[in-house]
Amino acid sequence: MPSLSFLRRCSRVAPLAALLGLAGCDMLEFSPNDHRVPEEFTNLTRKNLAKLQAKPLPAGDTLRFVFTGDSQQFYDEAEALVASVNQQPGISFLVVAGDISDFGLGREMRWVDEKLRRLYMPYVTVVGNHDLVGNGREAYQHIFGALDYSFVYGDTKFTMVDTNGREYNFNGQVPNLGWLRPQLASLDGARRQVVISHVPPTNEDFDPALRTPYVQTLREARGLVFEMNGHNHSSSISQPYNDGVTYVNSDAFSERHYMVVTVWGDKQFRIKRVAF
Amino acid sequence: MKKYLLSAFLLAALGAQAAGPPDTAGARRPPVERPWYRPSHLVLQTGGGLGMVAGGAGYEFAKDRLETDVLIGYVPKRFAGSTLSLASLKFMYSPFRLRVAEQVQVLPITVGAYFSYTHGTLNDEIKGQYSSDYYWFSTDTRYGPLVGGRVTYLTAPVPATGLPRKLSVYYELGSNDLYLASYLNNRNGGLGIGQLLTLALGVKADF
Repeated sequence: MPSLSFLRRCSRVAPLAALLGLAGCDMLEFSPNDHRVPEEFTNLTRKNLAKLQAKPLPAGDTLRFVFTGDSQQFYDEAEALVASVNQQPGISFLVVAGDISDFGLGREMRWVDEKLRRLYMPYVTVVGNHDLVGNGREAYQHIFGALDYSFVYGDTKFTMVDTNGREYNFNGQVPNLGWLRPQLASLDGARRQVVISHVPPTNEDFDPALRTPYVQTLREARGLVFEMNGHNHSSSISQPYNDGVTYVNSDAFSERHYMVVTVWGDKQFRIKRVAF
Repeated sequence: MKKYLLSAFLLAALGAQAAGPPDTAGARRPPVERPWYRPSHLVLQTGGGLGMVAGGAGYEFAKDRLETDVLIGYVPKRFAGSTLSLASLKFMYSPFRLRVAEQVQVLPITVGAYFSYTHGTLNDEIKGQYSSDYYWFSTDTRYGPLVGGRVTYLTAPVPATGLPRKLSVYYELGSNDLYLASYLNNRNGGLGIGQLLTLALGVKADF
C-alpha cells in the first residue's frame, strides 16, 4: 500500500512528467528547421547498410538493385513505388539519387522514410540540392548520415558523393575531390565500382571549376561500371564525354518509373525501366 | 450653446480627474484610457514552429475578440543545426467566451494565422546563388493557419484600469505553407492531416 508521502511526491512529479512528455512530443515543433526526430529515424544510412550486410551477396553472384531519384514531395507515388518494387525478385537494395526532401526539412525526410521503410529490402541515399537548402545539410546528416560515403556489397564498391556545387556557391570544394580520388583509386577488395551523386557533371548546378577534374577522376577509376545521377527527372544512359564512361540518369518519383539495374562480370550491366 | 459649455465643462472635469494628483485618487476612480502603444498582455510559448521558447507582447481589439501578438523566438543549435532566432506575428480571433466559474473563463476556439521570419539558417540564399525561379519557396519566411483554445483565470482588477488581471494558458495547432503544399500535392492520401500539424503551448498575462 503506497504511503501518503509517496502519493504526495507523485502528485508533485506528475505535472513535471506530463510537461516532459509534451516536450518530447513530435508535434511540439520549434521551427520547420527543427530536425529532432525519434531515434528510429536517425542514422538511417548506417542502419540500412547494416541490414544490407546482414544478407551478403556471395562472390561472383549477379547484383540487382533498384535505381531511382528525387522522391521530393511525391508521397502518393512513393507508396505506389514501394508496392511495385516489392514485387521485383532478387533486389538487394534501392538507391534514391538525392532530393529526398523538397525543402531540406527533417519532417519531410522522415515522411519519405516512413514510406521507404516498407520496402522488403533496405535503401540508401545520396544528398541532393533540395536536401541542402536552409538547414537541410544538418537535417540530412542527423537523419541519414554522411554526405560522402562508400560501401562494398558483393563484388561492387559504391561511392556516394555530394556534387551539389550550387548549394555551396561554387566554392571549389564540392564535390570533394580530395576525398573522392583515394576512394575511387581503391576498390576495397571489390571487383568493380559504381559512383552515385545527385547533380550530373553535365548540369549547370555542378561546380564548373571541378567539372573537368571530376570527369577525369571517373575516367581513371579502375573497374568503373557507370556513374549514376538524379536531378534531371528524366532517365538516360549515355557517354556525354565520349571517354568510355557511362552516365545513367534516374527517373524521379514523379515520373512513375524506376530502373532495375543488374550488374555482373567485370563491368557488364543491364538496365530495365519499370513503370509503376 | 449651453450644451456645448456643459460638454466642455464635463470634458475638462474628466481631464482634471484623470490627471489629478495622487492624493485625490480613490479606489473608485473610473478606468483611464491607456496610451495606444501600450501592449495589453505578455506572452510566452513553446513550439508552433516559432521557437523552443518565444516571448513577446500583444494587443487586443474589438472587445478582446481580436488579438495580435509579436513574438521573438529562439531555437538552440543542437535542435536545428544552427542557432535560430525567429520574429513572428500572430493574428487571432476568439468568437466565444464562456464563464465556467466565477474566476475562470474558457475561450473554446481561437482561429488565426501567423507569419514568421527566421534568422540564422545555414544555407540562406545569397545574391546570384539561384535564378529567380530556382526554388519557389523561401527558406526563412513561413506563414500558416492556427486554431486553438484557452483557459483564463481572472484575478483582482488592476487599480489603474478597473479591468481584471488575467492569466491564461493556451494551446494552438498549426501548420505552415510548405507542409500544406506537400499535402495538397498528394491527394491520394500520401500524407495525413496529422502529419502536418504542429503544437504550441503558451501562457498569456494581461496587465
